[in-house]
Amino acid sequence: MKRLSWLATWDSFLGVATIGLVLYAAVFVPGFATSFNISQAIAGMSEKALIVLPMVLLIISREIDLSVASMLALTSVTLGMLVQAGVPLLPATFIVLLFGGVLGAFNGLMVTWLGLPSLVVTLGTLAMFRGIGYILVGSRSINQFPDALTDFGINNVGETPLPWTIVPFLILAPLFSVVLQRTPIGRRIYAIGGNPDAALYSGVKTQRIRFRLFVLSGMICAIAGVVFTSRLANARANNAVGFELDVITIVLLGGINVFGGRGRLAGVLWAICLIAIVRNVLGLSRIGGDAQGTVIGLILILSLLLSNSTNLVLDHFRSLLSRSAGPRPSGREPFSSLNDHTPEQP
Amino acid sequence: MNPQPTEFVSEKRAGECVLGLRNATKVFGGTVALKDVSLDLRSGEVLALLGENGAGKSTCVKLLSGLYKPDQGEIILDGVPVELTSPLDAFRRGISVVHQHPGLFGDLSVAENVFIGHMPVDKFRRLDHAEMQRRAAELLDVVGLDCGPSVQLNRLRSSEQQLVEIARALSAEARVLILDEPTAALSQREVERLFSVIQQLRTRRVAMMFVSHRMEEIYRLSDRVTVLRDGHHVATEPVSSMSRDRAVQLMVGRSLSGMYPTKDPQPGEILFEVSELGLGDVFTDVSFAVRTGEILGLSGLVGSGRTEIARVIFGIDHATEGTMRLAGTRISFHSPSEAMAAGIAYLSEDRLDQSLVMDQAILSNATLPTIERATVAGLISVTKELALVRPDLDRMKLRFRSYDQPVKTLSGGNQQKVVVAKWLATKPRLLILDEPTQGVDVQTKAEVHSLIADLARSGMAIILISSELPELLGMSDRILVLREGRVMDEMERADATPERVLKAATDAVGENGSCASTDERLAGTTSLPAHQEPSSSKPSSPLVSAIRRLLLKREFGLVAAMAAVIIPVAAINPRMLSGPNLTALSMDAALLIIVAVAQMLVLLTRNIDLSVASVIGLSAYGAATTLHAHPDLNILAGLAVASGIGLLCGLVNGVVVTVGRVPAIVVTLGTLSVFRGVDSLWTGGKQISADQVPQAWLDLTTGRVAGVPGLVFIAAGVLLITGFVLRSLPLGRELYAIGSNPDGAELIGIPVKRRVLGAFAVAGLLAGFDGGLWASRYATIDARVATGFELTVIACVVVGGVAIRGGAGTALGITLGALTLLIIRNGLILIRVDPLWLEGVYGLVILGAVTINLIVTRRSQSHRRRKLP
Repeated sequence: MKRLSWLATWDSFLGVATIGLVLYAAVFVPGFATSFNISQAIAGMSEKALIVLPMVLLIISREIDLSVASMLALTSVTLGMLVQAGVPLLPATFIVLLFGGVLGAFNGLMVTWLGLPSLVVTLGTLAMFRGIGYILVGSRSINQFPDALTDFGINNVGETPLPWTIVPFLILAPLFSVVLQRTPIGRRIYAIGGNPDAALYSGVKTQRIRFRLFVLSGMICAIAGVVFTSRLANARANNAVGFELDVITIVLLGGINVFGGRGRLAGVLWAICLIAIVRNVLGLSRIGGDAQGTVIGLILILSLLLSNSTNLVLDHFRSLLSRSAGPRPSGREPFSSLNDHTPEQP
Repeated sequence: MNPQPTEFVSEKRAGECVLGLRNATKVFGGTVALKDVSLDLRSGEVLALLGENGAGKSTCVKLLSGLYKPDQGEIILDGVPVELTSPLDAFRRGISVVHQHPGLFGDLSVAENVFIGHMPVDKFRRLDHAEMQRRAAELLDVVGLDCGPSVQLNRLRSSEQQLVEIARALSAEARVLILDEPTAALSQREVERLFSVIQQLRTRRVAMMFVSHRMEEIYRLSDRVTVLRDGHHVATEPVSSMSRDRAVQLMVGRSLSGMYPTKDPQPGEILFEVSELGLGDVFTDVSFAVRTGEILGLSGLVGSGRTEIARVIFGIDHATEGTMRLAGTRISFHSPSEAMAAGIAYLSEDRLDQSLVMDQAILSNATLPTIERATVAGLISVTKELALVRPDLDRMKLRFRSYDQPVKTLSGGNQQKVVVAKWLATKPRLLILDEPTQGVDVQTKAEVHSLIADLARSGMAIILISSELPELLGMSDRILVLREGRVMDEMERADATPERVLKAATDAVGENGSCASTDERLAGTTSLPAHQEPSSSKPSSPLVSAIRRLLLKREFGLVAAMAAVIIPVAAINPRMLSGPNLTALSMDAALLIIVAVAQMLVLLTRNIDLSVASVIGLSAYGAATTLHAHPDLNILAGLAVASGIGLLCGLVNGVVVTVGRVPAIVVTLGTLSVFRGVDSLWTGGKQISADQVPQAWLDLTTGRVAGVPGLVFIAAGVLLITGFVLRSLPLGRELYAIGSNPDGAELIGIPVKRRVLGAFAVAGLLAGFDGGLWASRYATIDARVATGFELTVIACVVVGGVAIRGGAGTALGITLGALTLLIIRNGLILIRVDPLWLEGVYGLVILGAVTINLIVTRRSQSHRRRKLP
């Protein structure tokens, strides 16, 4: 049970860090503990929190999607153009969702059908999708949106400091958690990440699942695109540049193992809060976008260094317990289920 | 006529012990692989190591080659106990090993593979290519591989690669040569060649050990024979005093009675049959049938094709010939899930890699294929999960603490029980068991055997693949013996004896038995067609020219692409070919090339550096601000500052990757932002403009020599130095090796971590240097310098043929890649395409180039790759 207890420790550590940061900010950072600020902090995280959900599934299954921010921007642009062309909001949203699925399907096809590593594919689509956005609207910005959309982006739920924009995440997060922990498909995703060969030989339809995860990522990015557009009341091709850093940091910080097969949503939820607060506090302290990126980047690296060192210790324990074969090569690559198959010796 | 290996030398008197094991014991987890084994290798003598699968031969080889250390006992070298710290250490002490599965470097040439780790250098410490080619050619001649030393290794088929492995073992001044099943992949002619080499080495008093299951070869070649059984030493005798029958008996040795469940088989209808089934050159013309309630045993040694047959039946691989029928209906499965749906289950022999997800719980593993049945309203119900597998787990008396326990913590035997329970839950009609009791304790073995017998009694058809003769003979109703992909013998239980099975499996010739296989072998037709071609390596000459054609294609393709852009654009807008435009283009190319070289160095080692653009920005500002603050400094100081900053950044990346063991993609994603943020803080929102720096600084790059901007010369210099290092220094070749096969590189003794750290450091240095040049060229420097440039760099290297997976890339390729990319950009700009569209173009270029690379690689390796899922 060492693994589970380590995760629990990491989750607790994150929880303590988050609460600690909240307390610190409430006392030492002026303007933090206001309803308005809390609401802003939550709102600012709405899209990233959404994108984190499919990213968790992807990384668990040993894939990655670097094109999420570009899909968000492109779907945002598409929504703007549809609305500008007079398409009513609801059908436009629906079309945009489908479009997001198509973008995700493109990623999925390149990974499953062509067999290219998802790292390279999504690096390419990161550029290509954003480029398409530029082709569609250039450097213009679409600013006219129906009130329904902009109200959604601005208002809070009733009298609470909870903005409407976080509601899609609040609905989807428990869904994702249940699916991951309590359904067959969740088991299979863990299996694919834990040991792709064993999963395949146990009858798991690995390629189909991978493809669907990329499609899901595209669709969630489309939802995020709608939310972003409504919140900022504009659609630009260069929306959300750099989001992927935050999303990946949150996922890895939250305890999802970078090599796949391990991690739960619980820690990720704490990580979302932590990163949201960090950004908020930095913003309140007049620290600009690039410098904020520095902090996030440092958090990413440090969290991995920390989890690596604890993992190393735990792996050492485990290796002392039981081994059915001799020493195994250590070459593990992240985000790649396409490891070379070396023939086994008898 | 036969060329002689000149490198082997031994001062030993004939017959003196050079290397040996003394009371060596080796334990893995719960299994004792070797127990108290002693043997010695004597100079001028060949010792054959005999034993069934699992007897411990492989472990002996690994101990003697420095891969493992004995848990008890010692390794004796020249009469003194030694500790071999690594295979490289053993190699340096004069122990050469030819492994069964060569761990070579596909992206390097044959000659480089032979000499990697000890490449010949001239007096300037440069790689002596000519010497390396010459010696490699000699060695290739000795082993009989007819192929040029500069052919890339992954163009060769496995038998040819095995010969390269042998050549590598011969390339050092070794006193000991250990050969682990070296002939398994070789044709008859190649085997004869190897034998003559061994005879030569004998006269040079080299001590040799020969592990093989081919009795014919053992009796021809060896002086003494050591027989192992179940990890114990059974006998060591001169070969002349051990008859083949006796050797087999010693290998088998156990009494068979009493250990296996009694059966009175009542087989029913034929459930499953295969007819002339074949898979390429792995197995061919295999036909058999299995009835309900029957246990069909498949026997044979490594390479006989049993597992491969099972994989075809289960849908993992796809047969190239023949048919399969299940209950009379013709079937063909394209995936394991289809096979499972039809009622077939396959318990793989590779428990670790193919049967279990080690980190996950017992229950999760056991219910993976059948988890659908344990749901209530779509959610998994633990009660139902347990109901699926508990009966079987209890029946097999699984010993565990809780169902949540990760299977990693179980013993081998208990792990196997989980696997068996997993497959039983699928309620199969046909159960294929591949080495079901391998690495399993005696108690569990008995339990598993009893279970198998029960299953047969209840009507399941079972195919039992086993290398353990007693198990096979005790459990099976009928036995099929395979050797090298063909069915050699088929017998009923009553007629089956260990000797008969082993003989069919190993081509052992009895004193009064004839063996058709010997005659076939001498005629060169025993091995399957692919092995038989004596000139299988001959096609490497057309292969070499095919490679050249391919290479030329890429370069040709890029030049053609450039022309395809230049010609129409120049027609539309003649400014493309104007002086200023070409100058600007060449300077852009120079800046891109320098940083692309940096990226290539990192990519070669199978890493990536996303932070290069941020490093450029940071060091550009560093250079500019230094010269702004101290205008009287030599302008080279600006470059020095920039390079220094870059070096620091590179070291940060490198240390976190090598020491911190964080994957490069994640590290550099982080440092991309960190460095950019530092840049932002440093500039504080300001910028440095042209009038704030010395003119001499600006002239550094724009000043011309013979009409060509200085920057271009600098880039050319970087390219030449890089090309030199990569081609002519052993260090450079090692970078390729690391990317081609990181684990193999470690084993060979290449200091992987140091090299990777060095690659990142130099990459940072170059990026910083580039940043300095950038500041010199563009004059106005703010925090946004080179934002997003990493994408351009990656597009450039990918187009230029650098493999993202490591091991491939050239300076020339990068140059052409940069030019192609920039010409496309230039062309688009000149025909008034919005520059913002360029990002999309780069993305498309990356995807296209990677796809093309993939297709090209797959096509050139399709003849030796088996399709793995």
